[in-house]
Amino acid sequence: MSASREADSAGHRLASGGPAPRVHGDRRGWTRGVLGLALVLPPLLVLAFLVILPAISAVVTTLTPAADAVPAAPLANYAEVLGTRILRTGIVFTVIVTLVAVAAVFCLSYPLALYLRFVRTRMAALLGVLFMVPLFVPVVIASFAMITFLVGHGLVSTVLYHLGIERFPRLVYNATGIVLTEVWVSIPFAVLILGAGLQAIDDALIDSARDVGAGPLRTFLAIILPLNAAPTMITLTLLFIAIFGSFTIPYLVGGNAPQMLGVTMTSYLTQYLRRTESATLAVIAFMIASVVGVVYVASVSRRERAAP
Amino acid sequence: MMTSRKPGIRAVCAALGLALIAFVIGAAGPGAAQSPITLNVYINGDTNIFDLWNKTLLPAFTKRYPQYRANFVPLLHGDGSQGVLDKILAAKQAHKPTDVDLWETDPTYVTQGAPNGLWVKLTTQLIPNLSRVPTDKLRATDYYSMPYRGSSVVIAYNTAFVKTPPKTLDDLLAWIKANPGKFTYCDPNTGGSGQAFMVAVVYKFAPMAQYTGGAPYDPAKEAAWDPAWQMLKSLEPAMYNNGFHPNGNVAVLQLLAQQNVYIAPVWSDMGTDYLKRGLLPKTVKLEQITPPLFGGDSTVTAPAGSTHLEGTFTLLNWLLTSEAQQMVITAVSGYPGVDWKYMPAGVRQQFADVAKPYAPLPDSKYFADMKRLWHERVAGGG
Amino acid sequence: MHAAWFVAVAGLRRALGIGALLALAAFILGPLATLLVWAFAGTWLFPNLVPEFSLKWWVYVLSNADVGKAIRMSVLSAPTATLLSALICIPAAYAFARLEFPGRRLLLLSFLSANAFPKIGLYVSIATLFYRLNLMDTFAGVVLIQLVNTLLFMIWIPTGTFRGININLEEAARDVGAGPLRTFFQITLPIALPGLIVAALFAFIAAFDEAQGSLIVGTPNHITMPVLMYALVLSYPQPVGAVFSVLLSLPSVILLLATQRYLRAGYLAAGYSL
Repeated sequence: MSASREADSAGHRLASGGPAPRVHGDRRGWTRGVLGLALVLPPLLVLAFLVILPAISAVVTTLTPAADAVPAAPLANYAEVLGTRILRTGIVFTVIVTLVAVAAVFCLSYPLALYLRFVRTRMAALLGVLFMVPLFVPVVIASFAMITFLVGHGLVSTVLYHLGIERFPRLVYNATGIVLTEVWVSIPFAVLILGAGLQAIDDALIDSARDVGAGPLRTFLAIILPLNAAPTMITLTLLFIAIFGSFTIPYLVGGNAPQMLGVTMTSYLTQYLRRTESATLAVIAFMIASVVGVVYVASVSRRERAAP
Repeated sequence: MMTSRKPGIRAVCAALGLALIAFVIGAAGPGAAQSPITLNVYINGDTNIFDLWNKTLLPAFTKRYPQYRANFVPLLHGDGSQGVLDKILAAKQAHKPTDVDLWETDPTYVTQGAPNGLWVKLTTQLIPNLSRVPTDKLRATDYYSMPYRGSSVVIAYNTAFVKTPPKTLDDLLAWIKANPGKFTYCDPNTGGSGQAFMVAVVYKFAPMAQYTGGAPYDPAKEAAWDPAWQMLKSLEPAMYNNGFHPNGNVAVLQLLAQQNVYIAPVWSDMGTDYLKRGLLPKTVKLEQITPPLFGGDSTVTAPAGSTHLEGTFTLLNWLLTSEAQQMVITAVSGYPGVDWKYMPAGVRQQFADVAKPYAPLPDSKYFADMKRLWHERVAGGG
Repeated sequence: MHAAWFVAVAGLRRALGIGALLALAAFILGPLATLLVWAFAGTWLFPNLVPEFSLKWWVYVLSNADVGKAIRMSVLSAPTATLLSALICIPAAYAFARLEFPGRRLLLLSFLSANAFPKIGLYVSIATLFYRLNLMDTFAGVVLIQLVNTLLFMIWIPTGTFRGININLEEAARDVGAGPLRTFFQITLPIALPGLIVAALFAFIAAFDEAQGSLIVGTPNHITMPVLMYALVLSYPQPVGAVFSVLLSLPSVILLLATQRYLRAGYLAAGYSL
C-alpha cells in the first residue's frame, strides 16, 4: 500500500505534501511547462468566463464612485460601506461565527476521524455510516430540519417540557443556530478529508513512538498532527471559505441582526436597490476569504521548498 | 492490492456510462419537445398564489383559449425574483428574446427593471379590459404592470388569549408593551405583513403623502422617520423571543398557529385561507385597525422581450374579465383588480366587511430605504 | 489492532463510547427524525409529543407533477456535471501536482475564486454570456453552471492526492520503459482513485445543491430540485415542507447507500493521502 511506502520513505516527505516539482532549465522542462499549461487550460477557461471576468467587472463598478459622490475618490464606495456601523458589525460577526463554527467542526471531527482510523469495532463501523448522513441532505432541507428540531415548541423543547424543564434556551434564529447547522452539514466533509489523511500514516510509526515511551498526547502532537498537517490545512481552509460565504443557513437559521455577509449583500441587492454596495460587500468578503486561501497556498509552498 | 481497486474502477466506468446515457436522454428530452404556443408564466409568491394560478386561473384560461398552453414556474420571492430579473436583464443585454412571458412579482423589481426598458407599457389598445382598472392603480407602477388582485394586511388575534382586541394602531402599540413576548412581525425584508406594520408606524410620525403616489425622491425627507425607528426600537424587548422577527409571511402564521404569539399582522387573503384549511386555531380572528395597515395590488408584468406578447395580452385581458376576477376572489379571498362596480352585486355584498380601505404602499425607493433603515436602526440596535 | 493502543490508552475510546455515540446520533439524526414525523403529521400543536397522524399532505404533494420533473433533472444534471468536471479537472490537477509551469501557484489559487467570490451579483453577466451562447434553458447550460461549483473540489483535492503519491514509483515505471500515459493510467490513477472518488463526491454534492444559478439558467423547462425546493419547502405549511423534504432527500439517500461502500475508511486506506 502506498500509505506504508510513503511513511517508509520518509515521514517528513509525506508531511510536506509530497515532493516538489523541480524546475527544469532544459528543453524538456520547457515542454513540460507547455504541457502543464495546456492541461490546466480547460478548467481555467470555465473559471475565467464564468467567474473571473464577471467578478472583475463587478470590482470595476465598486471602484466607480456614485455620480453625486463628493469627493469622487475611487475607494469612496469602500469608505461608505466600512463607515456604516451595521456593516462593520456584520463583517466582524461573520468572521467570528465562521471561526467558531470551523473550530467546532474541527474539534468534533478530529477525534471522530482518529477513532474511525484506529478502532475497528462494530460501533466504529456504525459511526462511520452515521457521520456521513448530513453530506447527503441538501442544505435547505438541513436548515429546515434543524429549525423544526431546535425551535421553541419544537421537538427538543417539547421533550424537555415533558421532563419538567420549561426554560428553553434559544437555539435557532441566532448565531448559535448558524453554528449548530454549519457544524451539522460540515462534519462529514471534515471527517472524510482528515480521515483520508490519517489512513496514510503508518501504524508502525505510532507503535515505535510507544516503544520509545511517548504517551498518547505526545504521540498525537509529535507524530500524528504534523504528519496529517496537509489534510488539516486543506480542511480548515475549505471549511472557512464555505462557511464564510454561506447564504442559505444564515438566511434561514440566523437572526435579524447582526447578519452574516451573505445575507446582507443579498438584502442590499434585492431589497434596498443598492447594487453597488452589494458588489462592494462581495469584494470585501472575497478579500477576507482570499487571505485564508493565500495563507494555505503559501504554507504548502513553504513545505515544498523545505522538502528535500 | 489490485483486486481491491478493480471494483472501484468498474463502478466509475459504470457511472460514466450511465451519465453519458443520461446526458443524451436529457439533451433530447424536455427542451426538444415544445408545443406551438406555450406561455411561460413566472409567479413569485406564496403557496396560495401558486395554487390560484396552477389549479384555477391557468386551466380556465387554456380551456377558454385552447391555442395557448401555460407553463407554470413557481418561485420564491426575494432571491427568486432577483433571479428572474437578472435573467430578463441578461436577455436584453444579449439582444435575445426572454422566455418570461408573464411575471407576477413585487413592485420593487418592476421599478428596478423599468429604466432598462424591460417591460411593455400597458394601454387599452393592447388590453381593452384595462379600462376597468382604476387609473390611480395603474399609475403606481407607471403603467408597467397591471393589478389583477388586491389584498391588505390586517391584524390576526387569538380570542382565546385576547379578550378585547385593539381597534387602533395606538391600542395595538399599547397592547404589545403590556403583553411582552406575544406579538411579532416578520422581518420587513422577507414579507409584506411585516413591512405593513413597519410602514404603519412610519406613517404615524411622518405624513404618508410625502412618500407615496410618485412623490419625488429626496433622501433628506427620511429624517422625519427617526421617531418611528425609536418607537419600533423601544418595542423590540416586547417582541416574541425578546426581539425576534421570523422569515416571511408563512413563518408568522406558524407562530400564531403554535400559539407562540397571540397577535400578529398577516395578509388578509393568507389569513382567511389558513383559517379555511384548518391551519390556524378556530379562535383566531382577523380585523383591520385604524388607521389601516397598508394593502396593495398584486400586479402582473409583460416583459418587452417576450416572443409571445400576443398570448400575454390575451391572458392579461382575460384576467380582468368578471369570470377570472371572481375566481380570484373565491380562490384566495382577494379583492378584485378591477373597479368594484364591475363585480356582481352578490360579490360586492359579500366583501362589504373585508374590503375596507387600506393605506398605500410607499414608493419603491423610499420603501427600499425604509427596509434598510429598519435593519440599521431597529434590528441592528442603534 | 496494533496501533489502536493510541486511542485505547488515551481514553478516547471510552470518551467516544456509548454516550458519545448516542449524543452524536441524536445530533445528526434528530433533525431528520423530526422532519419525518412532521411529514406524517396532520396537525402537531405544542405541547403534544406526537402529532395527529395523517397522510393528507402526501396526497396534496404527490398531485404536483413538477416535483418528479425536477428530481429527474437533478439526477441527470449533477452526475453529468461531476463527470465533466472530473474529465477536465483531473488532468489539470495532475499538472498542478507534477509539472512546473509559469504562474502555477497563482493559477491554483485562482480556483479559490469559484467558491470564495460571492456570485449573487455576477449572475447578470453570466446569464448574458449564456444567452449569447444559446445555453439558456438548456440541459448543457444547467450542467455548466453546476460545473462552476465543482471546480474548487475537483482541482484542490486531487492536486493534494497526486502530490501525496511517491514520485519514485512513477519514475520507476518510466525507467522500465512505460510511456507517460501508461504510467499515469497503470500506476498513478489506481493509487489516487480513492482520493479522486472523495473529490467527485464533494463535487457531486456541490453540483446537486446549486440553486440560484440553476434558477436563472434552467427556468422555465429545466428546473432542478433545489430551485423548486426553495419555493416549496419554505412557503408551504410546515407539514407540506416536510413531505417535500422527505421526497427530495430520497435521491440523496439512494446515493448514500450506493457509495457507502467506497466511503468506508478501509477502502480509503488503499492509498489516499493529501
